[in-house]
Amino acid sequence: MHPLERLVNLVALLLESRRPLTFEQIRGKMPEGYGQDDLQSAKRMFERDKDVLRDVGVPIEVIATDPWEVEQGYAILKHRYYLPEIDFTPEEISALFVAAHAGGPDDAAEQAVRKLLYGTDGGLVSGAPSAPLAAEAGVVDARLTAAAEAIAERRSVRFAYRTSRGVESERHVDPWGLVFRAGHWYLVGLDRERQEIRAFRLSRAGGELLLDGEADPPPEGFRAAEHVVGGPFGPGEPEERATVAFSPDVAWWATRGVQGAVVEDTRQDGWVQVTLPAAPGDALASWILSFGPDAVAVAPESLRAEIVHRLEAALR
Amino acid sequence: MTGRPRPAATSRASDRLRRLLVLVPYLVKHPGTELAEITRLFGVREDELTSDLNLLFVSGLPPYGPGDLIGVAIEDERVWIDMADYFSRPLRLTRAEALALYLRGTALAVTPGLREATALASALRKLEERLGPETLGELAERVEAAEGGKPAETLDALRKAVAGNERVRIEYYAASSAETTAREVDPEEVFFAIGNWYVAAFDHRSGEERLFRADRIRSVEPTGEPFEPRGLAGAGRALYTPTERDVPVRLLLHPAARWVGEYYEVDAETKTPTGDLEVQLPASRLEWVARLVLRLGGEAEVLSPPELKGRVRELAGRTKELYE
Repeated sequence: MHPLERLVNLVALLLESRRPLTFEQIRGKMPEGYGQDDLQSAKRMFERDKDVLRDVGVPIEVIATDPWEVEQGYAILKHRYYLPEIDFTPEEISALFVAAHAGGPDDAAEQAVRKLLYGTDGGLVSGAPSAPLAAEAGVVDARLTAAAEAIAERRSVRFAYRTSRGVESERHVDPWGLVFRAGHWYLVGLDRERQEIRAFRLSRAGGELLLDGEADPPPEGFRAAEHVVGGPFGPGEPEERATVAFSPDVAWWATRGVQGAVVEDTRQDGWVQVTLPAAPGDALASWILSFGPDAVAVAPESLRAEIVHRLEAALR
Repeated sequence: MTGRPRPAATSRASDRLRRLLVLVPYLVKHPGTELAEITRLFGVREDELTSDLNLLFVSGLPPYGPGDLIGVAIEDERVWIDMADYFSRPLRLTRAEALALYLRGTALAVTPGLREATALASALRKLEERLGPETLGELAERVEAAEGGKPAETLDALRKAVAGNERVRIEYYAASSAETTAREVDPEEVFFAIGNWYVAAFDHRSGEERLFRADRIRSVEPTGEPFEPRGLAGAGRALYTPTERDVPVRLLLHPAARWVGEYYEVDAETKTPTGDLEVQLPASRLEWVARLVLRLGGEAEVLSPPELKGRVRELAGRTKELYE
């Protein structure tokens, strides 16, 4: 008998049975599967099959079959096996299809969306992109999934971490939230050794995230996003506003991608003056400098001073 | 998930079982689905599919008489399944599956300019509500995503041109030369990567395949001229394509500038004993590297070529004049 046939039959048998079945009973009902003369080898095969089923996600329960708990039976409870009813519109399931394929293939996400296909109206994914809509949803890898599992199970995590300044160390963290910002996933939580709330960019965690003991819950009103500071690639979290002027060459596109940018004035020489949210730290100065002589900071004075300071360093 | 290695034969059986427990309920609910549609939706080859289905109709319940076996019929390239009431609904999502899909969807939902954004948001809400705490845990409350950008205004026009294989005239600000120029391009794919939308296109100005950042395209004007797609790679490709004209640039990065080594494609990377990073990266034009060094302030030093040092000084001098 083919192993797949045996596995399908076992799932069907346990799903349909009203009572838990002992191994002896299963063997009796499936003689072609487990009816070998050698009881021990039949039992070993059954144990292996059970592992496969658990690996696939089939919830097999072990339940005592008599009040004295002498004998054990196996059961698959319908309410724990079957997917709850979720009806998706074709547009919704198409969007999930796109998400599952965004940023490279991922077996788990694809399998998830295939299970959900069941609940589509009419069943067909109309309007699904023939070529998968190309998009990148940040890299969802084993580290991210482990971080999410740790949060869901309220467990602490251990991992090796390298800061943006290149310092490496072991961390032990109570994970309190995940934040996706500017193409990267961050794990936010309590750094146990430092006793401070920190944000860790998951792409800088080396190797695996190991789940450890129980984690403390986050404080009341905790918001993970507040602990992620802007990256080095553009203006970060808004706190105050800065005024910047751009040359006519770059003005038309410079602030297109910047949320909260407001055009104040076009000067006689064609330069466009814009106010935009200014983040603490030096990300904004870096961004303005990347335009070279096509941008100049007008205010605040501290921003101008920082830029002049850096230009002098480059001229030295 | 157990991480234990298993013999190849068993793991194949588990892959096939995983597929069957999803495929069968789908076919029970959607009778007469075409084979081609099944292979597309379930990512399975037709020969794999038929061998799975062949196995299925010798499966069922004890005593495995004709009335106990699963009924499978394949006619006119369509599939029907009956006598499988116990497989009339799929297996629920494992936690790993639910998390992987939910996190990908959450990240994708904040992509500025995404056509599927509304549908994706409502699909994710349904997942949160229906899968419940036993699968997603408290995760739904603990995940936040913010892309914080605005979509490029030219996206719709570009998508239209891609869908219709139509050549367009664009005005483009090229960061490599810090200039805005007009050119005709054949756009083949629009995609999102590391925070920006790009279009992969054949550029008639250079006679080469190029990537254009959508937010730097000032205008898109249709030409009415069709083109034959060349099959240019879009999503998943490296954002920088090396050319023969590339000059190797060597930079010494102090700790605050180390991100450059992660963000750009670098050919070589060496750590120095003082904790700095020496990188070599290819550049076809020196202009953008000079601007990069300028933005890094004193955190990056040019090691070679010498003319880049000159470009940085000249650029810094002209920029500083603006502050005098």
